Formats: sequence, structure tokens, C-alpha cells
Amino acid sequence: MSRLSRGAEALLPPRGRRSRLGVGATLIVGGGIVAVIAILAVISLVWTPFDVGEINAAERLATPSTRHWLGTDKFGRDVVSLLMVGSRTTLLVGLVSVGVAAVVGVPLGILSAMVPKWWGEVVMRANDLLLAFPALLLAIMLTAVHGQGVVTAMIAIGISTIPSFARVVRSGAIGVMKTEYVLAARAAGRRPVAIAARHVLPNVGSLVIVQASVSFAIAVLAEAALSYLGLGAPPGTPSWGRMLQEGQELLFVAPRLELYPGVAIALAVLGFNLLGDGLRDRFDPRLEDRR
Amino acid sequence: MGLNQAGLERHPCAVAFRPRSLWLPQDIVAGPQGAPVTHRLPRLIAPLAALALALTACTAGSSTTPTPATGSGGSTGGASTEKITLGLIAEPANLDFTKTDGAAIPQALLVNVYEGLVKLDQDGKIVPALATSWKVSDDHKTYTFELAPGAKFTNGAAFTADDAVFSINRVKTDWTTSLKAAMDVVTEAKALSPTQLQVTLAAPSNDWLYRMTTHLGAMFSKTGVDDLANKPIGTGPYTFTSWNRGDSITLTRNESYWGTKPFYQSVVLKYFKDATALNNALLTGTINVVTTVQAPEALGQFTSNPKYQVIEGTTNGEVLLSFNNKNDIFKDKRVRQAVRYGIDHKALMDTCWAGKGTLIGSFVPPTDPWYEDLTGVTPFSKEKATALLTEAGKVGATLRLRVPTLPYAVSCGQVVKAQLEAVGFKVALESLEFPAAWLAQVFKGGDFDMSIVAHVEPRDLKAVFGNPDYYTHYGTADIQALLKAADEGSADEQVANLKKVGRLLAEDAAADVLFLLPNLMVADKGITGLPKNGIAVAFDLSKLAKG
Repeated sequence: MSRLSRGAEALLPPRGRRSRLGVGATLIVGGGIVAVIAILAVISLVWTPFDVGEINAAERLATPSTRHWLGTDKFGRDVVSLLMVGSRTTLLVGLVSVGVAAVVGVPLGILSAMVPKWWGEVVMRANDLLLAFPALLLAIMLTAVHGQGVVTAMIAIGISTIPSFARVVRSGAIGVMKTEYVLAARAAGRRPVAIAARHVLPNVGSLVIVQASVSFAIAVLAEAALSYLGLGAPPGTPSWGRMLQEGQELLFVAPRLELYPGVAIALAVLGFNLLGDGLRDRFDPRLEDRR
Repeated sequence: MGLNQAGLERHPCAVAFRPRSLWLPQDIVAGPQGAPVTHRLPRLIAPLAALALALTACTAGSSTTPTPATGSGGSTGGASTEKITLGLIAEPANLDFTKTDGAAIPQALLVNVYEGLVKLDQDGKIVPALATSWKVSDDHKTYTFELAPGAKFTNGAAFTADDAVFSINRVKTDWTTSLKAAMDVVTEAKALSPTQLQVTLAAPSNDWLYRMTTHLGAMFSKTGVDDLANKPIGTGPYTFTSWNRGDSITLTRNESYWGTKPFYQSVVLKYFKDATALNNALLTGTINVVTTVQAPEALGQFTSNPKYQVIEGTTNGEVLLSFNNKNDIFKDKRVRQAVRYGIDHKALMDTCWAGKGTLIGSFVPPTDPWYEDLTGVTPFSKEKATALLTEAGKVGATLRLRVPTLPYAVSCGQVVKAQLEAVGFKVALESLEFPAAWLAQVFKGGDFDMSIVAHVEPRDLKAVFGNPDYYTHYGTADIQALLKAADEGSADEQVANLKKVGRLLAEDAAADVLFLLPNLMVADKGITGLPKNGIAVAFDLSKLAKG
């Protein structure tokens, strides 16, 4: 939006107060949701109400009860246990894919900010090319070549998230490169690698954390989509997307089986997005004046 | 054309009620006045009865009664002016099954537009079609068919023995699909008279006559094979009218059909890519019949609704847990048997296919004459499975179960994995995109230990277990000898030998048959004549009616 006139600006609520309140709320709610998911995933490593590998014909499609809090699926597996174990897949895919993206994207962004301008442009255009390629299509292609699996899904999602990291980091790094202390370091003859590690990276760190949180939400959604299409978690590996897929044919018989994983995915995405927003409000240097 | 038809078609009743009956057949069924009396009568009725019926329809004053139009001469059915729409999965690529493989083309056209000399009835027996009777010589090598007089192609040409000779020879010269090999056994086909055909085989073959019930035996007109992909011409009870690509095929009653004319004037075959969309189409009244319910769980929404009837029959689709018999681990018979003992087939069918289907224990469906219930050969026993596995020294061995991404395969794969892991195997389950990836890696590439796929081809014992190069890599010498003896022997010898094959496969644990897929259909209440068992390549529309 273009700049508002003085009069119009005066009509807006005081910025500082609003955002301080907002920052706290989004950060707490987002962090809370993410923490709950993470805790459930950790608990599922040692304990779940039922064994998710066990198939029980007698209890298939049970409705929610005190024994099975959310009922069972068509194999007679406990839905609560499946959701708990499924959160592991979700978090794992999120962590690894964001990790892959950060490990490649961050150095790429810093590099493109430090090399001569036209080289940086080349890197960024290559980046744009990757950005233009739909993540899902890339994942389908990788699956066709390497076979279905969580690892393939993680790498596919990771690769398609690289551009967003590279972009954000580059814009931050260009700013840092113009600061006096970097100029001083260069004048003192420090090697570029040292400048990147000692000066640039710490200053774009907050950007990376914010981007990671937002990308995490996207990765959760992408993993669910891939598993739903049968390209992510293999059959037998609990995953929210796979639960959605398996529930689809029962949509009119047991709609609750679609509801639970759907709500879980929505909550997780909401949680990571809120967390990302909260972190950005707190750390993004571009929003400095808001604080 | 009889006087009856001409008279009735101009009858005010017919004119007045045709539009409604054409567009809203379901209203008639569900309407307040109930199903019309006329349709409760048997379909095979004499012309006099038909006339009487038509009069009743008018005099009764029932506003929802469609007026039946009677057929010609001596073969009238309760022909009506109504339309029926059937929902199917998988649309044909084109209409030429002589050059294009795929089940969808013969499913729509055979028996309905094209007819063969013989066809398969609902119990799996070979019955007359264009051939009213046939004789087999003592050496089982010469077949003499008496052909139906008066049969006509829809292009106006009469069907004679010359057309039959032309059609049989054309398989060898012009067909390109894999099925054509079944005709290689024929050395000569000749017309003895316009209604008599003699076919000589190089060696006795029971299988040949059976294959003649499939589209291999479809009879073409000598003057009607110019554009088979778009304009099929046959002698059947329906003629091909139009094809709205990506949506539907319309067939219309052949008014000059030589046999009993079908009830419906028009049959629309509507194709759906998605099973849920197909079911929803029935719920919204877009279609009258779901010809295959893809997910048995979805039946729940129909069984409780009085508007619909659920039809459950059997198929030829054996869901096979195949073993790669070339792999070292499966060279040990004890391991193969351990897998069979370790699977609780009843629980498996209950969980992964909602308990619908038949447990058969071997590779022969109940509609084949040599069927035996062999579920008792290796009954479920965890202890026995573990014992065999321990004896073979293979406890903890990993089996790679690579299944295609088909609903039943993915579902059953998870159950198989759980059950086999409970007896001491380790199972690595993986799903491969179907058809491309599965065909390339499992079916052709042989890169698997076990897989799950339904073999829907009829009478496929020989194809699946008689050939060491097939993906099952079985085909032992004794099986091959029995299969040969069965094909060349008398009907009784065929049954006896194939029974032995079925038993041998079960005892030697060549593979495990998880269950036989059911044929599940849902239709508006009152529709009759749907083929209950899905055992023929054709979907017979000729007996459809409203009762």
C-alpha cells in the first residue's frame, strides 16, 4: 500500500501497542500447538494406547468409546494411536525437508549476495526456475524414479523449499554486506568465507528461523498431500495424509475417519504458521519500526 | 414388423407417456402408483399377450405406465420405449477389440452389439448364441455348428456361414491383440451350407470352444469391418448409436434382431473415473445401476436405502498373493507353506474387503466346472507356520511385498504384513504406481518376493501357473503335463485333470489365493436381468428389464 496521508494514519490504532499484544498471542498459541504435537510424537515413541501394527478384524470401524477414544479404522486400529504415531511422520518430514532446504538454501542466498552482482543474478534466476516448478510435480517425478517413501517425500519437499530460503537470505545478506563492519572486515583483508560465517550468517539467522517455521507448515501440508496421493508414507506407516486417503472410501460410512486426520493437519499447519508469524513479528529486522 | 407394433406406436397412450418414461425411469419405479403391472409379466410373451398388455396399459388409465412396443414376428420380449443408464469404470480407448486390448471394449460390445457362435451363461456353461447347436467329432478335432437362420447384421446383410469363416480367418490375418493366439489351433474353417459351419483343429482343444465365448469368437460382417474403431456392426440385440467421448456410449435396441428383443429401447453406458463419483451418480439419479462397486465399504449407504437393491455374485478375479518362485527363499516349499498357513484368510477378507468375496483356497473360481473348495489344504495355523519357518531356518527372513496402488492390494498388503510378521517373517511393504511402475518392476522386472494382484482373466490356470517365464515363475513339468492332458481330453478328463492342477497348486503352495473378488452391483429397485456373476468378458445387457 502506498503511504497514507497524515490524517489517515492518525485514524489507525497505535501500532506499537497492537503488535506487542499480537506478537505475544500468536507466538504463544502457535508455540503451544506445535509443542503439543511434538510432545505427542515423543510420547508415541515409548507408549501408544494400542499397537498400530496390530490388525483386529473384530473391532473394525468401532465408534468412539472409552476403550477407543476416537474409534478405530477399517483395520481395527486405534485412531488415537494412529494420530500419535502419524505426528512422528509429520514432524520428521517437516524437520528433514526444512533442514535440506536450509542447508542448501542459506549458503546459496549468502553466496549470491557476496559474489559479483551478475553472478548473483544468475544464481537467483536459477532459483526462480526451481521456484516455478510445482513442488508436487517434482515429488511425483522423484517418486517415479526412486520409488515411494518418506525419504523421497522429504527430499522432494526439501528441494522445492530451497528457493524460498535462498531468496529471503539473499535479501538479508545484501543489506548486511553494505554495513560498516563488513566493509571494515573486508578492508582488513578477511577472507570471504570468514565474513560469511562471522558476520553475515549470524545477522540473517533470525530470518532463517522465521522462514523455517513457515516452511514447516508448508512441508506438513505437502507431506499430507503426497501421502494422500499414495506417494508419501508407504502403506503400513501411519501418516495423517495416508489416514485421509484410507478414510476416503468410507466417507459416507464413517466420515469421522476423514475428520480426525483433517483436523490434525489443519491444526499443525495453523500452529506452525502462527509460530512463524509470531517469530517474524519478534525477529524480522524489516519490521524493526513496529516494535 | 408386425401389425402390433405399427398400431401401438401410433397409439395415443404411447405418444403421451413416452417422454416421461424416457427421461425419468426412476420416477416410475418410485412413483406413487408403483411399478406398472405390465412389467411384472414374464419377458417372453407371445404377440397376442403383448397386444393384450398394451391394451391393459391404456384401459387401466395409469398415467405412469410406459407403453410397451412389441417386437417383430415370433420373438417379442416386453420391449419398451424406456432408457436405462449404467455406470461403469474405465472407458474404452476405441471400439475395436481386434486391435486394442482392454476389458472395456468387449464388456460393452460383446453379446450386446456383436454375438459369437457360443456364449457363457451365468453359471459358466457354454451355451448357444449364433450357433443353435454343434457337434464334436470323436477325435475332438472337428466342430460342426448349425447356425441360426434369419440372423442379420445391423448393416442389413444376412449372417451366413461365410461370415463365420471370414470372422475366424480374420483373427489370424488382421487381429493384433494377444488373444489371437487362441485361434492358432484352427487349421480350417469352411462353410458346408449357408447355415452350417465346420471348424477343424490341429489338435484337440477344450480351451478353443471356451475362448470362442469371448470376443475372439465375435462374428463380423464381411461388408462391415471398415471402421471397427468407430462403427461396430454385429448381429446383436443392440446397435451402437453414439459415443460421447469421456462420458458415455449409447446403444439402441436393434429392432430387426433375430432373437428375443431386449426390453429397453436405449441403454447408456456412462463411464466414471472415480468410484465415489460413480456411487454418487446413483444417489442423485444420474444413473440407474452401479455395475461395479469399487469399495465394498461403500455398500453401506445403499443397503439401508429401500430405493436400491444390492446384487452380490462372484467373479473370476482371484486375488493372488503371488510368490516369486525364482527367488531362493521361495525355492523352499516349507517357506511357501508357512506363508499360506500364516494367513488368516477369513480375518483378512473381513478387514480389507469388508467380508465380501469367497474363500476358495486355490486358483479356480466356483463357476468353473473343476472347482473344489481347497481352503482346508493349508488351514490357518500360527503354530504350524512358525514351526515350518523354524524348520526351514528362515525365522526373521525379510520378504519384499511390492503391491500395485490398487485399493484391494494396498489394503490386503497391510493385513498380510501384519499376519506374516506375527508368525516370524519380516515384511517390507511397498506400493508401486499401477500400471506402469508395477508392470515394469514386478510383472516384467521380477524385482519382488511377493505381490498382490487380482487375476481377472477367465480360466487362467495355464497362463498363470503353466509358464515358468510368467512373473510367478512356476510352471513345473507335472503341472504342464496335466494342463496339456486337460486341453486335449474329453470333457470329463478336462475336469479331472484341472482338479488335480488346482489341488497340486494348493499343496505345493505355488502361491496363496487370498480370496475371490465379489461382483457387487447396486441398482434401482425393480431393475431385473442384471448379470449377477461377473464371469464373462461381456456385460450382458439383453436381459435387462423392469419388474
